[in-house]
Amino acid sequence: MLKSPAQSTPTSPLSVEKTKNKIADQEAKFTLNAKDKYFAWAFLGPSLLILGVFIFYPMVKTLYLSLFLTNTVGKTTVFVGLSNYINLLTSADYLSSLGVTLFYVFAVTIITIALGLVLANLASKRLPGIGLFRTLFSATMGVSVSVAAIFWLFIFNPSTGFLSLASTFLHLPQIPWLTDPTAAMWAVIITTVWMNLGFTFLILLGAMSSVPTTLYEAANIEGASSRFQFFHITIPSISPTLFFVSIITLIESFKSFGLIDLMTKGGPTNATNMLVYRIYKDAFYSGNFAQASAESIILTIIIALFTLLQFKVLEKRVNY
Amino acid sequence: MMKKFTAFLKTYALPIFAIFALVLGLAFVHGSRDASSAKAGRIPVVFWHEMGGPAEVQLDKMVDDFNKSQNKYEVIPQYQGVYDEAVQKIIQSHGTSASPAVFQSFDISTAQMMHSKYTTPVQKFIDEDNYDTSNISSVARSFYSNKGKQLAMPFNTSQPVLYYNASLFKKYGVTPPSKSPSYSEVTRAAEQLYKKSHHKVKGMTMEIYGWLLEEALANAHTSLINNGDGHTGNPTKINLNNPTTKKFLTWIRTNIKSGDFVNYGSGASAETNEIAAFLAGKLGIFVQSSAYIGQLTTGNKNKLGISYFPHPDGVKANGVGIGGAALWISNDKPAKTQRGAWEFIKFTQTAKNQAAWQKATGYLALNKNSQKTKTLQDLYKKIPAAKVPGEQLASAKPNNTNSGILMEGMQLTRELEQTAMETVYNGGNINSALNTADKAMNANLKTTNKADGR
Repeated sequence: MLKSPAQSTPTSPLSVEKTKNKIADQEAKFTLNAKDKYFAWAFLGPSLLILGVFIFYPMVKTLYLSLFLTNTVGKTTVFVGLSNYINLLTSADYLSSLGVTLFYVFAVTIITIALGLVLANLASKRLPGIGLFRTLFSATMGVSVSVAAIFWLFIFNPSTGFLSLASTFLHLPQIPWLTDPTAAMWAVIITTVWMNLGFTFLILLGAMSSVPTTLYEAANIEGASSRFQFFHITIPSISPTLFFVSIITLIESFKSFGLIDLMTKGGPTNATNMLVYRIYKDAFYSGNFAQASAESIILTIIIALFTLLQFKVLEKRVNY
Repeated sequence: MMKKFTAFLKTYALPIFAIFALVLGLAFVHGSRDASSAKAGRIPVVFWHEMGGPAEVQLDKMVDDFNKSQNKYEVIPQYQGVYDEAVQKIIQSHGTSASPAVFQSFDISTAQMMHSKYTTPVQKFIDEDNYDTSNISSVARSFYSNKGKQLAMPFNTSQPVLYYNASLFKKYGVTPPSKSPSYSEVTRAAEQLYKKSHHKVKGMTMEIYGWLLEEALANAHTSLINNGDGHTGNPTKINLNNPTTKKFLTWIRTNIKSGDFVNYGSGASAETNEIAAFLAGKLGIFVQSSAYIGQLTTGNKNKLGISYFPHPDGVKANGVGIGGAALWISNDKPAKTQRGAWEFIKFTQTAKNQAAWQKATGYLALNKNSQKTKTLQDLYKKIPAAKVPGEQLASAKPNNTNSGILMEGMQLTRELEQTAMETVYNGGNINSALNTADKAMNANLKTTNKADGR
């Protein structure tokens, strides 16, 4: 959708040369002209100010808070250096939260992408009435977190819920969805995947419909199976989108909060106490701002690492 | 397609945005009432509360009545969300122009509010006015006092009670639990109901809720923390792994295993689920706050039965502590505003207002004289069981163990209690679950004391 710069630049070698000179001239002026500097500050100033107040200051303050103990009213009292971090990283409780979060994030990302691919592949077929299915598959996009949580809470309800009634009817054992630690994790994963699916489906469908049909025609002539076509034409062609969707889903899952708050509150036995929810609880329930700050810093580092890793590893496998 | 959309945006973005901003702005102007909206000549008294639903309606009415009853002050109520988050709002806004003059803060924030030194203890005004507190429930008062000094005035007050579906018990020919049942008596009732209904009805549930565990300790006259649950001095040691906790948890777990108790988990969803099951006739007994009476009687065709919170066998019931919240006066406002806040607090405690409050919300009337009012007499005639929680409240003699736990960091303590309960409910080892909780609680207490320089 964005126009690439290559398209708009004139193609003759002479004009390319001219443009280069122009840019060089501008750069020279920029470093020399004090007036330009003044303008640069004037234009960048407001955004720097906003970033400073809303991003940089809170970041520095968080770092500062994480090195102290805070009292009942949230004021720093005793400097403790890195001991908040050490306490966290040696506490079995925190490490289990970390493990739980990683499990959740990967499960959600993998399942969402897999299901999204399957649905998008089905819906990309040109069949009568496919528009209806496309709408249905992407319908969850318009559902807010609270609605989704309440909807699934009803389904998971142990005495009057759909799943409970269905398993009674079929004489299957009852699964205590929200009270058993393992089942609760899956309940949250299912709900998250359900919520994410609409968006993922739509993006992947869009990508699939932009794959040139000539590739498939050629493959058909060669006699390639539809499975072969999916893995060797569709997947490589949509890999930039796949890459984008997986990063977005991963980061969004790390930040998952509303569903946890509404469905499990981090329970049972901390089985769904993800890092973000933990920060919220430690800060705004327990009033332990120092520890919550240390947790925020750790979470920031983790998300940054994952983003970096994805760019380094996944990007190599993406065909633009 | 994309181009068309961009063109559309270019043409209409500004008007759409402007309309949106206008609507938002109007909504904001319309929705908020602040100190400046007080009538001329009246002292504004901003009041922060956390009551939603029918309680908020009744509270607004009480405020209106107060404003009409005199012409010196104008109380301006502002809803501030749930209890836990409101505590942080109150503390963080203290000393700014946005802070409230009088605010509602929940039971387990008492120690935090006390140590913050951000409030004027209501004892000051009680002494100034020679206000007679003897009519106000003594268990409720003792919860919000320290060493004989009243810190805040109890307001919305509840007690945990045992609810049972009296119609179901009758249907299956099972004798319901007595007025103040023991654990084994509740087991007997739950078991029989479960068996005689051919497992169609679950006997009972006890929500995974730290408050209920603390009340079990209170009712057995057991302290959770040293120095008389914090009432005689600053706490330094927490002891959750005590025989009373073990007895309580063993009781529940044994029954979950045998199938006559059911586990609905913790939090709001657990409460929704247990109430849904109870109203649907699939659950015979549950223990919960008395504030649910309203919800359990409207639209419930079955007869509601209520008993006291159960006590361990062979132990005399000590009476349970209260739950709910109290009204506090901020000390960052001028004396005349604080006086207005106190006048409002006194108004909330009258027999008439407390009776109306109980009828509308299910919270218990704190004023002893409320029981004689027509409002409550009529209520009891309609729902005889509604009398029981008030009787339970009146029957308890306050002592250290049933006056709440006066310790900072109770929110986290409760979380840890709940984690222990969850572990046990799901079949884990009781001893190790309690030890894990104890270790974490004590580490947290040590940090709190260190941060406060105690």
